[in-house]
Amino acid sequence: MGKLRPGHFIEVGLWLALAAVLYVYSFDFERNIEIYKFGATAWPRAIILLMVVAALGQLLYHWKDGDEATSGTLGAASDDGSEEAARRTGHTSLRWYVSTLTLLVIPFAYMRVPGWAAEVFALDDGGLHAAKLICAAVLILVYLALTWRNHVGGILALPIFFAALLEDMGFYATAPLFIVGVMFLMGERRPKWMAIVAALIMGILLFLFVSVLYVGLPTGNVHPFYDFSHWLVTLIQ
Amino acid sequence: MDAFTNFLNGTIALFSDPVGILIFLGGVIGGMLFGAIPGVSMLTLAAILLPFTAHLSAEHGIMLFSVIYCTGVYGGAITAILFNIPGAPENAPTAFDGYPMTLNGQAGKAVGAAVMCSALGGTISAVIMMAATAPIADWAISAFGPPEIFALVFFGLAVAASVGAKTLWKGWLSILAGLMIAVVGLDPVGGIARYDFGMPYLLAGIHFIPTILGFFAVSEIFVQAEKKVTGVYEAPELHVDFPSLSELIAHKIAVLRSIVIGFFCGILPGIGATLAAFMGYNEAVRWSKDRKAFGKGKLEGVISSETANNAATGAAMIPLLALGLPGGALTAMMVGVFQMHDMEPGPLVFINSPDLVWVVFAAMFFANLSILFIGVLETKTIINLLRIPFQFLAPMILLLATVGAYAVRGLVIDVVVMFVAGAMGFFLRRSGYSVAGIVLGLILGKIGEQTFAQAMQMLHFEWLGFFDRPIALTLLIAGVLTTLGSAYTAFFKKHHH
Repeated sequence: MGKLRPGHFIEVGLWLALAAVLYVYSFDFERNIEIYKFGATAWPRAIILLMVVAALGQLLYHWKDGDEATSGTLGAASDDGSEEAARRTGHTSLRWYVSTLTLLVIPFAYMRVPGWAAEVFALDDGGLHAAKLICAAVLILVYLALTWRNHVGGILALPIFFAALLEDMGFYATAPLFIVGVMFLMGERRPKWMAIVAALIMGILLFLFVSVLYVGLPTGNVHPFYDFSHWLVTLIQ
Repeated sequence: MDAFTNFLNGTIALFSDPVGILIFLGGVIGGMLFGAIPGVSMLTLAAILLPFTAHLSAEHGIMLFSVIYCTGVYGGAITAILFNIPGAPENAPTAFDGYPMTLNGQAGKAVGAAVMCSALGGTISAVIMMAATAPIADWAISAFGPPEIFALVFFGLAVAASVGAKTLWKGWLSILAGLMIAVVGLDPVGGIARYDFGMPYLLAGIHFIPTILGFFAVSEIFVQAEKKVTGVYEAPELHVDFPSLSELIAHKIAVLRSIVIGFFCGILPGIGATLAAFMGYNEAVRWSKDRKAFGKGKLEGVISSETANNAATGAAMIPLLALGLPGGALTAMMVGVFQMHDMEPGPLVFINSPDLVWVVFAAMFFANLSILFIGVLETKTIINLLRIPFQFLAPMILLLATVGAYAVRGLVIDVVVMFVAGAMGFFLRRSGYSVAGIVLGLILGKIGEQTFAQAMQMLHFEWLGFFDRPIALTLLIAGVLTTLGSAYTAFFKKHHH
């Protein structure tokens, strides 16, 4: 087996799976272009083919040389210590990946579930908003429970979760919580400092973008978040 | 001296425009700061600023980015020397000798040498750039058709793939992933929708700004966050004093050699300043009578790598402006700035907007000069700013990125795409892939496919047509040889440990 480890198979397997999916879906747009006989599929399929070749090359490389960097590449030098950090902390275990993947799925659950619920139970606008609030609350609890033991996974998922909530809850209400969350996950524990920094960052951002540049930030569309955003924007301007 | 008159006009235009001066100074200081702060780089700053360049004129936008480029490459040296954390890959060889010098108590001398050599290498490179770019662009207009540009894209990607990631294969996978992202949306010839999965968002193509923000600014924060959470991250104490001029003059040969190497590496599409710094360092070692002293705190090591990487900055602008092809991540973002103003970088820029070109050139020249002054005066201030705890910086950068991604089109989904790209970038970085490769693939993908299609139509779908076009053929062969060469090295040579 050379120097292969299960992780190598998973990594190469992911690339091959990606290539397979992309190849299957490329038939969706297999149509002739009159002036160009290669059509719309030639370029992506060439990329897919090269992807397969490179993934297999990588497998062969792992088999022969394990995890070493090739000489002549900048791999060893441009290594920013991220691999080292991952190794030291056991963030390469299967359990960690499963927990992190679950965390990453949470935001997408928020983006899909209320819509389905509204369809199934034929909810009106008020019902949809209530469904969104309930769904957000439940998912935040799930998020907190998983993040408890997995701060790195929590940091990866938090911004996506924040982005998913932006549309409905608005920037103005969620951003301060987001700032505090990021600081907490990075190990800050002093409430006074967290409050000062959160206020400072919000102050700078709101001054810069709302009063000076007039960039409209998402205000949200769910009561009471929308009302809060509206009140704050009027206050600043 | 036609170029000299143009340079004077550019200088006057630059310094007679108050907004321009403000942007220039902001770029100089911002580039240096972001280059210096561990955990973020000039690419982070550039990515955050990218969406907002829509509010600036094209001239100011490109000027800002070129200034950040010059001073950022220097700023990265500070952290490479003091903390052994290169601000960017192009500062990595600086750390080989710079950090041992810090351990020997010579941090000030190393930083001082980096200041002077960055300024010198960058300024000379800017001068050559001013003299050479216009003639190259003139030549390119007649000599470069779609087949040549496609061949150059191929060659650039091959170089980037061969040296940019942990292994050749991961380099190629990074590039291919970027090319694949560029495929999403309408195809450039027939306008057929590809991989849209019925979603209007994907039909318009994945926007490059959220993607770039995610892969650079956000994933950078994630990588540092993991170190912070796990206690690998630490900020050390330091103090600074400067070397004597005679010590620098004693290394004039090393400086000259690195300028030449840096410039030629910078011109190559693919990996520019990074390759320059490594080759500058390697050649210094190879030519030295005292090889064993390298890596243990030899001043010549810092000088060679810092001169070379700044010498590459001016050179990197030549393929961008003369041929329209970005060589690295930052020049790729400059293509983004051009595109937001409905312009295409390339030889026609010289004809359509000569003012822009010369203001940018003048700004790069003075940005490199200002490294000398600000570097000497402000390095201590910068070092104090480095003490800002990273957990305070991180939410600020993430929110700036959020506002930036949202401001492009007013779509929350762009913010989601950015953070997903950030999480993907985090995992890819940890596994030895190159995020710069992905972004280069993304930016060059559309150009590559379009020029390939045009080339094939021009050559009546005869592959052998490339044999009638010596420049294109040479570039294609060079790309293939680069790949084969590094494949050979990968299989038959010894490895790093």
